[in-house]
Amino acid sequence: MSLKKFSELFGDLDSINSTNNKIEVLKNFFLSNDPVDNSWAIYLLTGKSNKRFISGRYLKNLFSQIYEYPHWLIDTCYLKVGDSAEVITLLLKNKTNSRNKKLSNISLNELLSETIPALSKLNEEEKNLEIKNLWETLPEDNHLIFNKILTGTFRVGVSIGLITKSISKLINIEEEIISHRLMGDFKPSIDSYEFLINKNINLQELNSKPFPFLLANTIEDKIFKNSINDFQFEWKYDGIRMQLIKRSGNVSLWTRGQELVNESFPELVEKMSHIKDDFVLDGELLVWNFKEQIAFDFSLLQKRINRKSPTRSIQIKYPIIFIAYDLLEINGKDIREIKLVNRRIELEKYFSKWQIKTDNNITDIFKICDLIFPKDWPDALTYKEKSRENNTEGLIIKKKTSKYSSGRKKGIWWKYKVDPMQLDAVLIYAKGGSGRRAGLYTDYSFALWKDKELIKFASAYSGLTNIEIKELDKWIRKNTVEKFGPVRSLKPEMVFEISFEKIQISKRHKSGIAVRFPRITKWRKDKKINDADSLENAYELMKKKS
Amino acid sequence: MRTKQEYLIRYKDGNLYCELADIWIDPSKPVKKALITHAHFDHFTFGCEEYISTKETAILLKERVGDNIKIKTFEYGEEFKINGINISFHPSGHILGSSQIRFIFAEEKWLISGDFKLQKDQTCKQYEIVKTDYLISECTFGLPIFKWDEPNKIANDISKWITNSPEKTSLLFCYSLGKAQRLLNEISQTNFKGNIYSHGSIHKMNNRYRELGIDIKDTIKIENKKKIDEIKGSLILLPPSLSKGSYLKNFKNIQTAFASGWMSIRALRKRSGYDKGFAISDHADWDGILEVVKKSEAKNVFFHHGDSEALSKYLVEKESINVLLFGK
Repeated sequence: MSLKKFSELFGDLDSINSTNNKIEVLKNFFLSNDPVDNSWAIYLLTGKSNKRFISGRYLKNLFSQIYEYPHWLIDTCYLKVGDSAEVITLLLKNKTNSRNKKLSNISLNELLSETIPALSKLNEEEKNLEIKNLWETLPEDNHLIFNKILTGTFRVGVSIGLITKSISKLINIEEEIISHRLMGDFKPSIDSYEFLINKNINLQELNSKPFPFLLANTIEDKIFKNSINDFQFEWKYDGIRMQLIKRSGNVSLWTRGQELVNESFPELVEKMSHIKDDFVLDGELLVWNFKEQIAFDFSLLQKRINRKSPTRSIQIKYPIIFIAYDLLEINGKDIREIKLVNRRIELEKYFSKWQIKTDNNITDIFKICDLIFPKDWPDALTYKEKSRENNTEGLIIKKKTSKYSSGRKKGIWWKYKVDPMQLDAVLIYAKGGSGRRAGLYTDYSFALWKDKELIKFASAYSGLTNIEIKELDKWIRKNTVEKFGPVRSLKPEMVFEISFEKIQISKRHKSGIAVRFPRITKWRKDKKINDADSLENAYELMKKKS
Repeated sequence: MRTKQEYLIRYKDGNLYCELADIWIDPSKPVKKALITHAHFDHFTFGCEEYISTKETAILLKERVGDNIKIKTFEYGEEFKINGINISFHPSGHILGSSQIRFIFAEEKWLISGDFKLQKDQTCKQYEIVKTDYLISECTFGLPIFKWDEPNKIANDISKWITNSPEKTSLLFCYSLGKAQRLLNEISQTNFKGNIYSHGSIHKMNNRYRELGIDIKDTIKIENKKKIDEIKGSLILLPPSLSKGSYLKNFKNIQTAFASGWMSIRALRKRSGYDKGFAISDHADWDGILEVVKKSEAKNVFFHHGDSEALSKYLVEKESINVLLFGK
């Protein structure tokens, strides 16, 4: 298969919004190409190729050097486009169309297994020459793919889940099995592709399958009419929901998004494999503060999620814990049909057994969730309000008699989230976005009053609709006071309602406070800047909540 | 050097104005005398006492403003005098009837480019190189990332896009005057042989084009509540204003695309909300603007309509061309 066919696939996937159509396109692609190129396509599309051969900056400098282009002009173009590989692709269009060289018809396999890896062995001068040569011989519509692979920025709107689905459809085998096959170190080759599309399932593959997850609904008032004793109360953790499975000695970790994440959390897999029993647990993975016995911010967990094979030092720096809140299967017996209260008894029973019987201590990575026992509904509300103190998002309320069914079934599990904190603040700076938001001012900074001065207290970029973003962008361009590189200081005029999860003292900020997950929840066009909140209001908020 | 007040043409209230002739170019508010480069909505306004344009622009303008306006027309290249200033229209290649306007006064030449493109377009006259001392140019796409593909390549892409989804109705959004007719002309030369429907606003412009001798493929005027089966596999041209809101609810199983120069940038394509973008423009790309600036032999250049910072800096640094700033 030529690179061109893959470029076409990229173009198609990039311009189709419907998931079903994407799956159809992928399926047809796999059907019409040979195994080795298919394996490379999967490798690229699942983001396994994020190795950076050269940086975006290097790419831009090289272009500037070869074609005598001023740096500032490339930088100005970048502001509009938001992606180095794409800027250079667009600029190359202006440069290589009049060339007379014979075009190469390199295959995806050749490019990825030979040409690009060979670049790393060249000295700088040879490397630059080779890239120039490739630019001039590759057909124009392959440039984007090539530049993206070079800079390790190949990303399309295709998730590993979509690849899984299309292969699953192709060979008529359940998605979980394909996920399992896609796990691990996927080395593109004929063999790896043949393995992926093998229609025979072996036992171990069947054994790793998770159960469909049961999801909680947002609380409804009618629940308060019920007796408090009908429910089990737990903290709502802000981590990754997971099923921890051990069957026939093999441990698998499945996220709610049907992703197998064993590789990101090897220490958990290792520890759990020492337990003698087989089981399926439902729970939450968190980065845990063992000293205070509360969860760390989700932002720390993010440092672990996308990192495969984390080093020992990463494991120590971001210590994880799996908090189980349900037991779904024990030693091959599916117990999802029995009542929650009884499943809880089983869970507690096995947990104490494992604590004693396991060779090494499992509690430094595994525990079961604590229950809360409010006296009545007002008391439950008090617990909910306290949830910020232990870094949880509120309460999960579960009906004691419920079975573990699948999906967002009504009337079984409820989430009772704590309300966000809010302040009205004045927009004072804006910065250009990148990627999809390129060419628009989408990163905003907000200020609160301190006497007669506006002091910056938070930055946020989410919460506005696309229409609002465009409108605000227009306003920003007309009301710029000063430009500092990509940042503009603005005429203080616009007031926004900013919501956040937590507020605390911070010496690092001029305002003296730091907020967590700030986001825009309303454009307060009805408010003048004098109506905005002051830092004093923020301090009061802090006092009230602690 | 003269002060801005002494230029033959300058900005006044955000519009191009020639004081000596007391005449405005594409004014956005009602004035006594208005020269109109072409009939796009952002280049004229209702209620001027007198309009002056090419014959084709006059006809298209009347379609939009109504028949009872006072409008004087001239042929391309025909000179006329106002207060001792020689004025003439020259083809700008943007849409049917579009023009550049040249002013000559006391041996000094000024040229207003209007909206222009150099690319092939069988629905209007090719851009004419006009020499000038002062050039006032648009620069909508004034960055080197803009480099247009040949229109027949885009037309073939559009044709493929439609025929690859025979079970769907393909909605192509484009400006109803100029772009729509150019697309129809190009698409009629591709392999796509299915039905083409067009929205009323496009349909009536197609008719005006045909009356003016331009070869435009027949299209069916789209009526609300078409049977789904009937329009499956066909192409429907619609103005961009209908892409948001309830209009699309008239259709089922559709794919959408937008034809515009901005669609060459992935981020803009993604943000646009259309399934697909076709980068075809009736404005000049970067090379086109540079070519016009050079071939016009202008010693002084002004830019308007667009972000001109980079383009100006490039011309000053790389081409040693004097780029001036208008006081707005």
